[in-house]
Amino acid sequence: MFRTTFKNLRARKRRLLTTALAVTIGVAFMAGTLVIADTISRTFDDLFADATEGIDAAVRGSQSIDVDFGPEARNPVPETLVAQIAELDGAAAVEGQVSGYAQFLDKDDEPVGNPGTGAPTLGFNWNEVPELNPFELTDGGPPSGAGEVVIDRGTARDGGFAVGDTIAVLTQAGRGDFTVTGIVTFGGQDRPAGATTALFETTTAQDLVGEPGTFQEIAVVAGEGVSEEDLVTQIQAIAPAGVEVLTGEQYTEDSQNQVQEGLSFFNTFLLVFAGIALFVGSFIIYNTFNILVAQRTGELGLLRALGASRRQVFGSVILEATIVGVIAGVIGLVLGIGLASLLKLAMAGLGIELPGGAPVVTVRTAITALATGMVITVLAALVPARRAGAVPPLVALRQRSVEDRALPRRRTIAGGVVTAIGLASLGYGLWGEPGNAIQFVGLGALVTFIGVALLAPVLASPFVKGVGGLIAKLRGTPAALAEKNALRNPRRTSATASALMIGVGLVGFITIFAASTKASIDKTIDDAFTGDLVVASGTFGFGGLPPEVADEIAALPEIDLVSGMRFGPARVDGEDTGVVAVNTDQMARLADIGISEGSADDFGVSSFGIHEDVAEEKGWELGTPVTIEFVDTGAQTFTVDVIYSENALAGPWFIDTAAFEANYAQQFDAQIYASLTEGASLAKARESVEEIVDPYPAAEVQDQEEYTEATAGQIDQLLGLVYLLLVFAVIIAVIGISNTLALSIYERTHELGLLRAVGMTRQQMRSSIRWESVMIALFGTILGLTVGLVFGWAVVSALADEGFSVFQAPVSQLVVIALLAALAGVIASLRPARRAAKLDMLEAIMTE
Amino acid sequence: MTAATTAPTSIAAQAVHATKVYGSGDTAVRALDDLSAEFGTGQYSAIMGPSGSGKSTLMHCMAGLDTLTDGQVFIGGTDLSELSEKELTQLRREKVGFVFQAFNLVPTLDAQENITLPMDLGGSAYDDGWVDTVIDTVGLRDRLEHRPAELSGGQQQRVAVARAMASRPEIIFADEPTGNLDSKTGHEILDFMRSAVDDFGQTIVMVTHDPMAASYSDRVVFLADGRIVDEMLEPTAERVLDKMKQLGE
Repeated sequence: MFRTTFKNLRARKRRLLTTALAVTIGVAFMAGTLVIADTISRTFDDLFADATEGIDAAVRGSQSIDVDFGPEARNPVPETLVAQIAELDGAAAVEGQVSGYAQFLDKDDEPVGNPGTGAPTLGFNWNEVPELNPFELTDGGPPSGAGEVVIDRGTARDGGFAVGDTIAVLTQAGRGDFTVTGIVTFGGQDRPAGATTALFETTTAQDLVGEPGTFQEIAVVAGEGVSEEDLVTQIQAIAPAGVEVLTGEQYTEDSQNQVQEGLSFFNTFLLVFAGIALFVGSFIIYNTFNILVAQRTGELGLLRALGASRRQVFGSVILEATIVGVIAGVIGLVLGIGLASLLKLAMAGLGIELPGGAPVVTVRTAITALATGMVITVLAALVPARRAGAVPPLVALRQRSVEDRALPRRRTIAGGVVTAIGLASLGYGLWGEPGNAIQFVGLGALVTFIGVALLAPVLASPFVKGVGGLIAKLRGTPAALAEKNALRNPRRTSATASALMIGVGLVGFITIFAASTKASIDKTIDDAFTGDLVVASGTFGFGGLPPEVADEIAALPEIDLVSGMRFGPARVDGEDTGVVAVNTDQMARLADIGISEGSADDFGVSSFGIHEDVAEEKGWELGTPVTIEFVDTGAQTFTVDVIYSENALAGPWFIDTAAFEANYAQQFDAQIYASLTEGASLAKARESVEEIVDPYPAAEVQDQEEYTEATAGQIDQLLGLVYLLLVFAVIIAVIGISNTLALSIYERTHELGLLRAVGMTRQQMRSSIRWESVMIALFGTILGLTVGLVFGWAVVSALADEGFSVFQAPVSQLVVIALLAALAGVIASLRPARRAAKLDMLEAIMTE
Repeated sequence: MTAATTAPTSIAAQAVHATKVYGSGDTAVRALDDLSAEFGTGQYSAIMGPSGSGKSTLMHCMAGLDTLTDGQVFIGGTDLSELSEKELTQLRREKVGFVFQAFNLVPTLDAQENITLPMDLGGSAYDDGWVDTVIDTVGLRDRLEHRPAELSGGQQQRVAVARAMASRPEIIFADEPTGNLDSKTGHEILDFMRSAVDDFGQTIVMVTHDPMAASYSDRVVFLADGRIVDEMLEPTAERVLDKMKQLGE
């Protein structure tokens, strides 16, 4: 008797652990996100605190435009202010700061670092004042002339550059060769956050990465006994308009806040997946506790017969859930710390080197992880615990029944109603033509998801009978037994499958959405772009190709039309955003943007082109004046001169290149579009263009097809990351299947022993459990894919106005997903199947 | 019960110097102690003995459900100790039938499926005529599509007997087949088993502690402390009871 109790306890300890595992992954994900966020921001905080330590006052432009990508843009400060500040009593030292885009090329002429996918590639001026220079020279000396540069130690190490070597640098002035005079580190880091650093003598830096005659910022060191506030007051007294002055402390804080902001998107992204993982995990917990309660019905009935109150029985289950939750929280936290380190390594592999330093585990992270683990587990166990409390004492005296075929009507009705509401919302969004269709569709999708999960038990029987029956016909008795076992308890089967349904549903939805997006991009570009060649700068908004490149291409005899495309931050009608600039007269012939009102012919320096949706939303029409603010030139008035219908190339609005040149200090083309002269050979033209862009190794010449592919290809990158994260949700679901099977097998011990006795081989036993697992997995997958397909279609339809012109369900990919799910079923069955096959036959037969 | 049935023409199952030891060292228990026994073809044998005498162990080892520590067990001419796990399973499927005390059936399968389960697992075609005969013999024709939960205890045991007979095994092992039944239903089951021996020449070895059940057999083997202590041909309930008292149960 003691032995069985002990054995039971040990078995339960393991069960407790596997149950906890379902929540653990979600908690680990969340803890990992928090840890890495804290680690990054702590390190950056320290770095900035070090770097700005010597600054007692900072002067910068007061006009700022905050855009979603990159750092905020500000107007520059006149160079002459430096000398004026230097004369102040309170200033001990003062120096102007220049920063901008500078890309190294290695000895094979390959770009070092890619700002499009990784850390920025930066250029600065070398600060003579030691207090203001955050860099430490580890070799050589400062740059002193136009042809000299100091480089970061990471680039020196990876590219094999030493002091005295020549290195090529791409800047707004084009490609230049420089002599390396020194090698630096920053805060002890070879290459903090993966950013490469080029340091030039100040005037050179202004030419290459800044703007002659100006600085982005001016940093000031206070004299002996002068407070930061006093210094600021003194500077403010002489500062011209358009300039603001910060104390060193404010400046440091401001820099740190900007990093936090930059990280917040990344954190939210990861936390969403942590949320999905926890949601899926809660299904598993719910299911596991339901099974545990069902298995212990006799024991619970006995407890009730012996005088335990409902409350006490309920409490005992909740207590168990709490213990599981705490275990999950603790393990999740520990795993999360490991995950953070792993994530850091993974990002380093992608070229985003995060600064070193031990993982930062704050009290907040620890408490959040523990609380989440516990709350999710206890919430998921509430219904099973109530069911436990409701076990009547008489049950102890009856023989327990494993089979639970009855489906609660209430749940079926609730599921039907919820699904109907979800579908109604979906339908209204699609066909009711409300203003915010996508919101109705999104909400409808979510509600339908829950409804289908509620209805799943009703669907489980027909599905298993259909698909399982087919498998059973083909695969014989073990598969037939598997089918019957999967049907034994439809609620259990469907709850297990629902966890997988969520993951697969999301994967299916994303797959369809991405395929449709790509197909739509293909179609729009095909329809809109009538040119022949595109030069992509490959720098994604950080610098690009200097305007001369477009000029040289335009001068080629094979080339007819040419337009560069530039991007810049701007405040349009009070909203911080960006503008696109093109050579309007040429672009209008290179691409069919569907001009519906106005004409591109006399598009001038203050002309503004808008998409018809913008026109409708803002109530603008031809001739409407629109205020656009730029950091360099302040508020300017533009006039709506063109309204167009195709936004694939031009986006919501554009200005002319001439206007861009008038309002921005830095001029880079992110893309150059060109068309051939009548009768010119594409191959020859391409060769000539390639020769021109040869000095810019990041740039790529594409024909129309390649351009389409490259544009659509960006989707794949994002898709890869989303898949990777959804895999976790699927892993949790697989653990859930494995867990449920293990518990079911435990229930069926006697039966399994009997089967072995009458002649079932171990292999047949394993195969039977494998098929059961596969049937559950397929059920979840088919449900998920169906739901995903419907949502994908609904969302794409709802977004038809936003340019989603094509709905595409990639059949082969969806089939692969289904096959992978079946494989997941096989994997989930491995452990339970092995355990069942290893069962001690005699002991099993003796078990009742 | 004529004398002819007690004189076997051949041996269906045989234990030779069978020894089974559980545990080791001081706590070792010798469940079978150098036991040798023969069970003749077409014979209905009963194994009796007090609790812990080794009767169940003997049956389990003879049926290929458990393995001996020492000695040999033969079913037909096959030495079980030389079989692999897979071959043992196949042997149980094809050459041995089982009737356990209770929960003999797979709850998800109906009566018909339970009866043909061993043959279905073997994947081979089977003799429909014989299966029909067995079903009629145990009187289950109108219950074939019922699941075990829808059958009475006696009906469940009848399905179990039918399953054991359906594959025409060399030998059927029954472990307290009537232990969970009331006496009337118990007699019915014992009658079926008796007729299986008389009408179809089936060999049956039954473990029981019920003298009444033992009286249905041709021969009773008495075990104590892992050894055969006595044997009785053409047993009656009274004689068996006396013997058991004598053995000190």
